[in-house]
Amino acid sequence: MAGNNLKEVSAEYLLFEAKREEKFITGSEAVKEAILRANVDLAISYPITPQSESMHLVGDLYAEGYVKDYFRGENEFAVMSEVAGAAMAGVRVFTATCGPGTLRAFENFPMWAGSRLPIVMAFMTRGVNAPLTIQPDTIEMSFLLDTGMIMLHAENAQDLYDMILLAYDVAEQTSVHLPVGVFVDGFFVTHTRQKVKVIVEDVKLKSYDPSRSPMPTIDMETPPFRYMRDPFVMKSNFISYAAHASWQQEVIAAMYRSKKYLEKYLGSLIEQTNTDAEIQIVASGTAVSQARAAAKILKEEGIEVGIIKIKSIRPFPTEEIKDALKNAEKIVIPEFNRAGWLAKEVASTIKNNDRIVHGPRVYGGMTMPPEIIVEVIKKGTLIGV
Amino acid sequence: MKKEISIRMSGLGGQGVVTAAHILGQAAVLEKKNATVNPFFGAEKRLAPAESYVRISESEIYDVGEVVYPDIIMIYHPDVILKGKSYTMPFYSGIRKNGIIIANYTTEFSLDETDKEELKKSNVKLYFVPATKIALEVGNTELSTNIAMLGYLAGITDVVSLDSLKQSAYERFAGKTKFVASATTAALDESVKKQYAKIEQLISSNNAILEKAYKEAKSIIS
Amino acid sequence: MSESITKPNPYFKEYLPQEYKDIVEKEAFKKNKSFLDLGVVKELLEEHPLCAGCNLALSLKLILVALPNPEDTIIVGSTGCSSLALAQVGIHNIHSLFGNQNAVATGLKRALSIRFPDKVKDVVVMAGDGATADIGLDMTLHSWFRKEKITTIMFDNEIYANTGGQESGMTPCGRVVNMAPKGKKFSKINMPEIAKTSGCDYVAAVSVAKPKSVFSSVRKAILVAREIGPTYVQIFTPCPTNLKIKSSEAIIVAEEKVKQGEYPISEYISPQAEEYLKNLGELSQ
Repeated sequence: MAGNNLKEVSAEYLLFEAKREEKFITGSEAVKEAILRANVDLAISYPITPQSESMHLVGDLYAEGYVKDYFRGENEFAVMSEVAGAAMAGVRVFTATCGPGTLRAFENFPMWAGSRLPIVMAFMTRGVNAPLTIQPDTIEMSFLLDTGMIMLHAENAQDLYDMILLAYDVAEQTSVHLPVGVFVDGFFVTHTRQKVKVIVEDVKLKSYDPSRSPMPTIDMETPPFRYMRDPFVMKSNFISYAAHASWQQEVIAAMYRSKKYLEKYLGSLIEQTNTDAEIQIVASGTAVSQARAAAKILKEEGIEVGIIKIKSIRPFPTEEIKDALKNAEKIVIPEFNRAGWLAKEVASTIKNNDRIVHGPRVYGGMTMPPEIIVEVIKKGTLIGV
Repeated sequence: MKKEISIRMSGLGGQGVVTAAHILGQAAVLEKKNATVNPFFGAEKRLAPAESYVRISESEIYDVGEVVYPDIIMIYHPDVILKGKSYTMPFYSGIRKNGIIIANYTTEFSLDETDKEELKKSNVKLYFVPATKIALEVGNTELSTNIAMLGYLAGITDVVSLDSLKQSAYERFAGKTKFVASATTAALDESVKKQYAKIEQLISSNNAILEKAYKEAKSIIS
Repeated sequence: MSESITKPNPYFKEYLPQEYKDIVEKEAFKKNKSFLDLGVVKELLEEHPLCAGCNLALSLKLILVALPNPEDTIIVGSTGCSSLALAQVGIHNIHSLFGNQNAVATGLKRALSIRFPDKVKDVVVMAGDGATADIGLDMTLHSWFRKEKITTIMFDNEIYANTGGQESGMTPCGRVVNMAPKGKKFSKINMPEIAKTSGCDYVAAVSVAKPKSVFSSVRKAILVAREIGPTYVQIFTPCPTNLKIKSSEAIIVAEEKVKQGEYPISEYISPQAEEYLKNLGELSQ
């Protein structure tokens, strides 16, 4: 296996020290570059636009000997169950899907979290039917907010590359051991060729160690072999209720425990520019890039705006957002979805949330011209824009 | 060069607008500029409308997605104009003031009066160029129309140099890394390669097409 | 697994429940048991919460004693009556979702092949007729198409028993049950035939009333799945609660329906599987 020629290194070395070079590649190619270094045992694919490209390329890595096993599953629900089975048996896995595929697979995500599986998965977000759409849209993130999964939102291909790699280290911490979804806006990033700094040294992430799992690995090597005295499901008694409730609480607690590991790699869960500006734009994913382009236009016109990029949606940077927005007079939240889930999150976090302009929102796949954000900021409202 | 140039390429599926955008973006990167390249986000079908977008800048590029307000529009097939085979209608929609349109034609045709008026209002320069003709004459295949279009672009504008385009086209077809924009594009590449049997032949043909189109362009603008 | 893993730390021993001590001392993980050992060795199934007279429970006991290599066997279950009993089994087992058992087993088996390339790890799916032939049919079939080396066992009680007796694809035509108030309008799904067509190298349909045939088909299925390809065993386990029959008569129904030709019994062994089993000799009995 060609993968054997890569030296195993710690996540810290991989992300902070390994030699990098700039390449002009698409977001899908950035996924391949990340998986090349992630030492993945098993990757399972299923086609859906705009995700397919990434998993073709991961398939190439299997053919080249950098991923130990790979196949195309029969549908997204099955694929998410297949990676779950593999993760339970103690190997490192990868898969990706988007939009309708996410919804078809949905029942698996809370099961992953409840089973404490350190699965890393990429979501190349896309709109959901009806009417049929294959275009970029982040609506699926709205549905996934409370599955117990850690959710990172990449702004560009560089974020996507780095977040996939760091996700493995965070997911596999004993005190976390949860699935991590790395979200990236489909097409806007997956199909866009841009400069990405990728690792060029012959190194890969050290192997997954199943003995660090807080749950017994299902391999008949790890006792106990029977860990339930009674199936606590379906019993109507206080113990069964309490068992489920405390288990769920622990999943959420584990998700919040991931914060310190995320911060090691991401710095803060938010990134700020122009912190003193009275107008602040809060965004995640590609909307951040559009905000940056808008800020550039506004600056030329003498208007200062700050940008708060949220890198982690779960855990949500509640305290950071409260602090960053304490002096803001106007808060504009551009989003690529109809639901406005990020605006709702921020509104439930800060005081005086009538400062928030819930938009602009673009959905159905079109890009958000920076000019629209500029106009909303100048008017201070969505009305008439 | 203007601070940030946005280019929209409209054509039909199979004409190589995705490949052309990649070659152009890579050429800009070779010149140490920033560039982003993306195709129109749709299902790819041969002869269905196809678009791709290139942004080139001396500074950081943030804006992503389709180019809504292009500085330059490149039209690879007359059907884009005549039959509205395009995602953006009319073909010049969103063009910035003093913009440039480079349109491939095979047989003579004229624009209707409204279009002419609109273009005049924005002071847009429209160049009709016989890119397919050059591809057939020099490269013996209309599959190289996209290469000829790039030659015209370099000749008419100063977005990238002819040399960078040559180098980029070389890397695109002879480079070690398998190019990926879409599976369909990769399959077409194979068909292009087969026609020429040898990559070297393809490279020299590309270079000849680029040079010829570039020269023609220079004679148009002088 | 190494036998020493099950041996309790002597300092902890007195705190362990009796059932655990029995697992170690009374040869629960002994290889190649016979179904005649039932009741003599420590059974892998602890007191189960299923109905009195449940044929599924009986067939589960027979399956567990038939496992050729219990210490390296992993069970993947699904939602339904069986999930309540499987949680009581003393070997690693998974319940994840309803219907995804063959998908989970696929990932699990491939992962174990990566981690333990030189060791036999048997992956056995055990699920009801609803999970196998209705909600999870696509995943059942695709695991067979892909030739995943897993054994699929269906407890065929011809009904969704756990949710109160609704029609399943395996319910015989004409039977009046919940959600089929005028009787089921199409035939029982012919899963053994489908299994054969879909690439299974060993297929058997047996009745729980014939312990020896349950035992031997399960054993053959697991052995064939190790080396040759996917295998399928369908065990007729009529449900006394939903059929509203006495607990003590449940097994009689399982026997009578077969005798009257209402439940077809069959066995298919592919030529490669036949050859393989022949070479194994006694082990496969």
